[in-house]
Amino acid sequence: MTDLAQAFTMNETSPVAAEVDVRRALRPMPKLKLSTHGLEFHYGRARALHDVQLDVAEKRVTALIGPSGCGKSTLLRVFNRIYALYPGQVARGEVLLDGMDILTPDYPLALLRSKVGMVFQKPVPFPMTIFENVAYGIRHHERLSKADMAVRVESALRQSALWDEVKDKLRESALGLSGGQQQRLCIARAVALRPEVLLLDEPTSALDPISTSRIEQLIDELKRDFTIVIVTHNMQQAARVSDYTAFMYLGDLVEQDTTETIFSNPSRRQTEDYITGRFG
Amino acid sequence: MNAWHIGVRGAKNAVAQVLATLATAFGLFWLGWILWTTLLNGLASINLALFTQMTPPPGETGGLLNAFVGSALMSGLGVLIGAPIGVLAGTYLAEYGRGAWFGEVIRFVNDILLSAPSIVLGLFVYTLVVARVGHFSALAGSLSLALIVLPVVVRTTDEMLRLVPTQMREAALSLGVPQWKVTTQVLYRASLPGIVTGILLALARISGETAPLLFTALNNQYWTTDLSAPMANVPVVIFQYAMSPYDNWHSLAWAGAFFLTLFVLLVGLAARAIVSRHRMTHD
Repeated sequence: MTDLAQAFTMNETSPVAAEVDVRRALRPMPKLKLSTHGLEFHYGRARALHDVQLDVAEKRVTALIGPSGCGKSTLLRVFNRIYALYPGQVARGEVLLDGMDILTPDYPLALLRSKVGMVFQKPVPFPMTIFENVAYGIRHHERLSKADMAVRVESALRQSALWDEVKDKLRESALGLSGGQQQRLCIARAVALRPEVLLLDEPTSALDPISTSRIEQLIDELKRDFTIVIVTHNMQQAARVSDYTAFMYLGDLVEQDTTETIFSNPSRRQTEDYITGRFG
Repeated sequence: MNAWHIGVRGAKNAVAQVLATLATAFGLFWLGWILWTTLLNGLASINLALFTQMTPPPGETGGLLNAFVGSALMSGLGVLIGAPIGVLAGTYLAEYGRGAWFGEVIRFVNDILLSAPSIVLGLFVYTLVVARVGHFSALAGSLSLALIVLPVVVRTTDEMLRLVPTQMREAALSLGVPQWKVTTQVLYRASLPGIVTGILLALARISGETAPLLFTALNNQYWTTDLSAPMANVPVVIFQYAMSPYDNWHSLAWAGAFFLTLFVLLVGLAARAIVSRHRMTHD
């Protein structure tokens, strides 16, 4: 054994390394919130997802990255079964939310969607007042008094960092807000239902840099209360906002790990090539 | 070389521009003439009696009250019958029948109905209602007008709902709201100005239709609001009076034409106002 090799083996049992292990052991492992097993997805005859096994940790941000057409948005759209709107789109396999398979037809769609909120690429406020935009979803699931509703709407708007900007114009049309404000309103609308999971489908790709950074800050705050899955084209964004990252390519989930590992030391060649900008 | 090329392009552009401008002027010239004649003759025939008296026999004074009321009743009823069915059918096409062959067939048939000559629709109602019941009636008139309203409203509702971004549908559905509520509470609200505009344009269209009424409501010289009886209406009165040899009937025909044109113009302006206000709130 050379000196150098000896130094390494010694290092593994060195007090420093042991301390790192202890710290890792002591850091509470996040609970598994959502996971897929053998998930396949078809658009008619075309297969968009192949045998995807993804784990999503509770109250963490999981980013899905990969080149266009890799299936990351498709995967996201399975989690609240929004794809079911379109005939010909079929998901097979298992998607467990707190251990319950949401793909079985028995799983009530309204319940699923009240637990799993979604925010889309383009801000799409409803043609109603700001207040009504936030209250609309709540009204469908719960009967609240006027005062309770006002409280709920306010807290949703505060959670999405929009309250201070709109508190004096809650009765005005939501269409008068700026793009960034509209997107935060869409987040408020989703958050108002008190979901457990928030799906963000490229939430900043239609926004300017300042609005984008506000949304990113917001994601950081929201993960205290929600499990977040975000699809993004922007790798810096994934690195900035997420705790875990999954890299997808051509319908396969190539690799998933902590964001730090994916970006600094990926185990798969494809991931590294994509991260370093060699393709994609 | 370069300068020469630019010169040629400039000349071509000038020729195209002149031709296009001439074509526009040619079209507008006739339109202007028609409106000018209607305005001139119509204004000369306006008096209070138009709105207080019934259509007169030849040579006597009278007005168009029964025709105005009859037109309003039948056009209103036509919209009332045609528009709700049209909105529902348009909703089916845009929200439920997308990509389905049944939807495509309906859309195709609707387009045929849209361009069907109105006299054919009049004859259809004639054989279906008038011939069986045995007499002309305002209800039959309303039905034939409703048949004209229907395809216009189906088409506009379909198109306006399709203009609503898919993501708005998905955003509303992702809140756990069922599809019929999403359609009635979110999508209708987003496309309401367009749908209302379509209904207004259909109203403008039927208010001047003569052929379908000729076979169904016919005409009535006297006052009536009885829907099972023949009913006076502006287009048929114009048709009858303009072809007559009597001066006072000619004058009433011009007055009718004037107010009909004015009404269509106002409805068109209202439709435009709705559309432009909607645009402003969107930007």
